[in-house]
Amino acid sequence: MFVARSIAADHKDLIHDVSFDFHGLRMATCSSDQSVKVWDKSESGDWHCTASWKTHSGSVWRVTWAHPEFGQVLASCSFDRTAAVWEEIVGESNDKLRGQSHWVKRTTLVDSRTSVTDVKFAPKHMGLMLATCSADGIVRVYEAPDVMNLSQWSLQHEIACKLSCSCISWNPSSSRAHAPMIAVGSDDSSPNAMAKVQIFEYNENTRKYAKAETLLTVTDPVHDIAFAPNLGRSFHTLAVATKDVRIFTLKPVRKELTSSGGPTKFEIHIVAQFDNHNSQVWRVSWNITGTVLASSGDDGCVRLWKANYMDNWKCTGILKGNGSPVNGSSQQGNSNPSLGSNVPNLQSSLNGSSAGRKHS
Amino acid sequence: MEKMSRVSTALGGNALTGRTMHCHLDAPANAISVCRDAAQVVVAGRSIFKIFAIEEEQFVEKLNLRVGRKPSLNLSCADVVWHQMDENLLATAATNGVVVTWNLGRPSRNKQDQLFTEHKRTVNKVCFHPTEAHVLLSGSQDGFMKCFDLRRKDSVSTFSGQSESVRDVQFSIRDYFTFASTFENGNVQLWDIRRPDRCERMFTAHNGPVFCCDWHPEDRGWLATGGRDKMVKVWDMTTHRAKEMHCVQTIASVARVKWRPECRHHLATCSMMVDHNIYVWDVRRPFVPAAMFEEHRDVTTGIAWRHPHDPSFLLSGSKDSTLCQHLFRDASQPVERANPEGLCYGLFGDLAFAAKESLVAAESGRKPYTGDRRHPIFFKRKLDPAEPFSGLASSALNVFEIEPGGGSMSWFVDTAERYALAGRPLAELCDHNAKVARELGRNQVAQTWTMLRIIYCSPGLVPSTNLNHSVGKGSSCGLPLMNSFNLKDMAPGLGSETRLDRSKGDTRSDTVLLDSSATLITNEDNEETEGSDVPTDYLLGDVEGEEDELYPLDPEHAHPEEPEYVLPQEAFPLRHEIVDTPSGPEHLQDKADSPHVSGNEADAVSLVPVDSSFSLLSISHALYDSRLPPDFFSVLVCDMLRFYAEQGDVQMAVSVLIVLGERVRKDIDEQTQEHWYTSYIDLLQRFRLWNVSNEVVKLSTSQAVSCLNQASTTLHVNCSHCKRPMSSRGWVCDRCHRCASMCAVCHHVVKGLFVWCQGCSHGGHLQHIMKWLEGSSQCPAGCGHLCEYS
Repeated sequence: MFVARSIAADHKDLIHDVSFDFHGLRMATCSSDQSVKVWDKSESGDWHCTASWKTHSGSVWRVTWAHPEFGQVLASCSFDRTAAVWEEIVGESNDKLRGQSHWVKRTTLVDSRTSVTDVKFAPKHMGLMLATCSADGIVRVYEAPDVMNLSQWSLQHEIACKLSCSCISWNPSSSRAHAPMIAVGSDDSSPNAMAKVQIFEYNENTRKYAKAETLLTVTDPVHDIAFAPNLGRSFHTLAVATKDVRIFTLKPVRKELTSSGGPTKFEIHIVAQFDNHNSQVWRVSWNITGTVLASSGDDGCVRLWKANYMDNWKCTGILKGNGSPVNGSSQQGNSNPSLGSNVPNLQSSLNGSSAGRKHS
Repeated sequence: MEKMSRVSTALGGNALTGRTMHCHLDAPANAISVCRDAAQVVVAGRSIFKIFAIEEEQFVEKLNLRVGRKPSLNLSCADVVWHQMDENLLATAATNGVVVTWNLGRPSRNKQDQLFTEHKRTVNKVCFHPTEAHVLLSGSQDGFMKCFDLRRKDSVSTFSGQSESVRDVQFSIRDYFTFASTFENGNVQLWDIRRPDRCERMFTAHNGPVFCCDWHPEDRGWLATGGRDKMVKVWDMTTHRAKEMHCVQTIASVARVKWRPECRHHLATCSMMVDHNIYVWDVRRPFVPAAMFEEHRDVTTGIAWRHPHDPSFLLSGSKDSTLCQHLFRDASQPVERANPEGLCYGLFGDLAFAAKESLVAAESGRKPYTGDRRHPIFFKRKLDPAEPFSGLASSALNVFEIEPGGGSMSWFVDTAERYALAGRPLAELCDHNAKVARELGRNQVAQTWTMLRIIYCSPGLVPSTNLNHSVGKGSSCGLPLMNSFNLKDMAPGLGSETRLDRSKGDTRSDTVLLDSSATLITNEDNEETEGSDVPTDYLLGDVEGEEDELYPLDPEHAHPEEPEYVLPQEAFPLRHEIVDTPSGPEHLQDKADSPHVSGNEADAVSLVPVDSSFSLLSISHALYDSRLPPDFFSVLVCDMLRFYAEQGDVQMAVSVLIVLGERVRKDIDEQTQEHWYTSYIDLLQRFRLWNVSNEVVKLSTSQAVSCLNQASTTLHVNCSHCKRPMSSRGWVCDRCHRCASMCAVCHHVVKGLFVWCQGCSHGGHLQHIMKWLEGSSQCPAGCGHLCEYS
């Protein structure tokens, strides 16, 4: 059901992140070789590198696209302790390299004193905002007050997480009922069993981000975290990549029941937990409707997870990372070494859900 | 253990032991140097000059060389070096330009030996000859280097760099007569100590100052240089021209560089500002440090490997007034922490996946999971200098594309484009949408539409269409109402419908009876529908046409051939004033709420469990019999909408919301509706379904949504005749009083899509202009402008 299209990325070191743009027609990759490349999809479906430039003086950990309403804009973050915002300049091509578009640096965010490990643009309805997190455990929220001027960013919030941060995710919900929310994961590997996922929510009254929840059951280093596209759901779904894949749902408890003014209380359930990668899980990514989760781990495979009508999550596909024949990934998903091993997981997820439930 | 034994052989029986530790100094350090016995270290700074013994567990202060009453500038050290042959001999470079030598063998408290006051400005660096006991070299801010023979009172020779300040001088380890010096202007010079008149060789190594250099302890020709340009470069000096072998990119200016003992490709660096860490690089992997020491809280000013043959102990001094011993195995390893994979789900269900090649290369070569990756056991293996370099890490990038028809998002696009949301009677909309859903293989959605029709329209219509279909093509491809509309086909998750079903205890499934009775009432029900449900605006359409026209019955009728059901490009033909609250169908459908609504009938729904296999047809029949008002079901329908939304199918929720309009709107709170609308619009825009998106915005009743397409709608145009900006008076220029919207090709006024060149202001019908510019690159108006259409 999947066809692998191998791309000669020609990065000189590891690729740490790939990111599709809003319309899925452009792709950006970033690498330890300090460069970012932009790939455009041709009519025939081939990906062509249309830009490649040195972005930082250290490994580039993450690259992410802004909503196209703000232009063709990328943000990158790096080991060199900075995050940068880039914009593509169209027209007046200085035709040295034909077919290569020109990206200019609009700003460098230099507030961090340690490696900036993640950068994410806020959902569009919040305006032009982005959040960064760094190894010293601080999440910073920046805003460009004038969306036409990408070189002016003001630091709006600094949220101390107490733990070295590795990843962040904005809650994408556009509902007025859902306050802006950021989930932060930590890859702190010190032996203390502190919870590694914290969720911060913006409080309209204090105009600050305050901790809303902590996922107490996640105590191993977290490498990636992702809110599912909300698409009108009343609850939020959060995927966590740690030593296994976990999926949580966060149901806001109705405001009337909680003391008003404070952070929203959530009913948290762990709905799935899979260790099929049999190793560290590095990345999680949701499909556009938030119904399928893809995860990748140290086993070099991508696994797809989908819930059935009973809200039981199952493996629906395995893709080999080397692009080698994805021979009947569908059969593999349905028939099953994976399903068999899911049974104990299901058990543990049930147990986990009762453990993870909050009594507020 | 293995490592220790190896170290001890290298050191001839004196194995180094110790741990990562630090001690506090009284003042910031500027430089450190290690005694050749590897058991003592000297720390020098502006106001500190001390010798520490390196013990197993701690540093112990052994000697304070800063003696005397009055603080002398001669003691303000910029650099310090311990002779590698004579354990009693040290030299310091003072900030006032003095070079001092120290003899630890002196019996008095003051160990100062000789004083050379020849430099005019700060001496940046001093260096002993590696094999000659009495030769000392200095490099100063004043641009000169001087060579001293410690047996004489003055310098032996002076070397003029003929350029700016000297930042570093280093004797070559192998070439007896050679030394290298680095300069603030970016140059590196190579000198023969016997020829002070001119340098042997000079080349530009960096952009900006070169702060440091270090000869490779084994490879005689290799010189590493570090500069303010944040780079470390490795030069092969044996060739005629210095050849750049490697270039390491660090994140801050490089203040010190030291080759790591016993590791041919490793070197340690520290920075002059901003960055307090010490990095160890493998020059063959120039982007990612192999190890990182993060102990210091301020700039690291001096680094030294403790023993020339031991790669595991590094000493460092810092402006934060600490002296540290770092053990290599305690270093943090950015390489290991770095994320080796990238993964992103695309819009169309395609997946981009980049992974470290070693992870994906051979399934068999995979290490089994052994708990935490950062377990020390991996360190030792990884950093064993004997282990050959595994080569540059690289990633494989793949995009996994969904094969056509393999569950991509095309269903969403098709559905969005083909659904009819307004402009026709409710029954038709439902039927049409059900048909669309069914053709796309989405049976559950199709059934939902059909049920909505059953609920909200008079039941008579259902059998009539059904009848038509069965007449037309038989049971296999007809509406599934008759033969397959039972709960077994439905996903059990459809809770609302299940309840709907259970609310009726009637188990009749007599289709024949239903058919006949329904056929009888077809006509009157049609009329009723038109009268009550159809907004007057929509009567312009062919609502009153024949049923057969509305429902093409040809089973081979594939969807692209049904233009009458595809949304027209310009949204829908209803032309109303653009007002803040768009006039959706809701204004006109109030009558749909039948007068005999009796409040809480929904509460009366009895949840009698019934066998789930009986046909839903019985319900439509029952409905017909008891004539329950549609309001009765609104709770169920709202539940169903929420169900779809929670399942991620916001398209269904919004489509039903729009189609049903006022019938359900009041039962769903405004905020939720707005949330659905904004989510769906966002999704449509992702797929670049601008027309559908605009139609949804138009049809929405939510204030926040409907204003979306009324912002930034101003167009600034120029008159095509006089080239002046047009006022806001429309398409007539108030200067030349001519209509500006004439098509340059056909000379008619354009109504509809108008395209114009922003260069010359001429334009016309989209089709005409496109056609014209296919054959010519000049403006059709003949103005000579080379218009571009892209």
